[in-house]
Amino acid sequence: MPEYTIATGLACLGVVLAELLWARTGLFRTAQYWASLAIVFGFQVLVDGWLTKLADPIVFYAPERILGVRFPLDIPVEDFGFGFVLVTAVLIRWERAKKRQTS
Amino acid sequence: MDAWQYLLVLACCVLITLPLEFVLRARVYRRWRTLLAAVLPVAAAFALWDAVAIARGHWWYSPRYTTGALLPGALPVEEVAFFLVVPLCGLLTYEAVGTALGRLRRGDADA
Repeated sequence: MPEYTIATGLACLGVVLAELLWARTGLFRTAQYWASLAIVFGFQVLVDGWLTKLADPIVFYAPERILGVRFPLDIPVEDFGFGFVLVTAVLIRWERAKKRQTS
Repeated sequence: MDAWQYLLVLACCVLITLPLEFVLRARVYRRWRTLLAAVLPVAAAFALWDAVAIARGHWWYSPRYTTGALLPGALPVEEVAFFLVVPLCGLLTYEAVGTALGRLRRGDADA
């Protein structure tokens, strides 16, 4: 399996386990989180789509480092895992900090 | 202007989400200490991931659409900006959605 695919898969697993086993903010049980994630993914398609468009890319990917599934637009699917981990990790830390301040 | 294109895309993200701070009372910028504490360690981890990916040839950047300013690890400044801007936009979205859902649940959509 390509390296970026493996790295993204492991990072997704890592952030989910970090929430469920360690942080336990309850983020995954809130409509607020899932609705936000849907909105973030919507905007990711626009921004990432612009960055990765094959006609005139800002970011180039080595074909042998990705699965080669580029959808929607020309976005490598791995990028959605990358974005999920980035945003989810920050939200977990944000929720932890908020809980610490109110407790 | 081409060299600024990546940074301009990120600037647009900041501008578009800025109203959420006030209109939907996200109060993310206002809690800037919490914001920095939440974002900086994650941004650092992603900068490391990025540097390793660049070194291993996973991806590279258009010399035309980036400024060419590099940080240690051959990391374009644009990428570090990305790791700060995207979480900021994500937090503004999350808090704005929280406000919106709260209003819906209370049934005071006009508030």
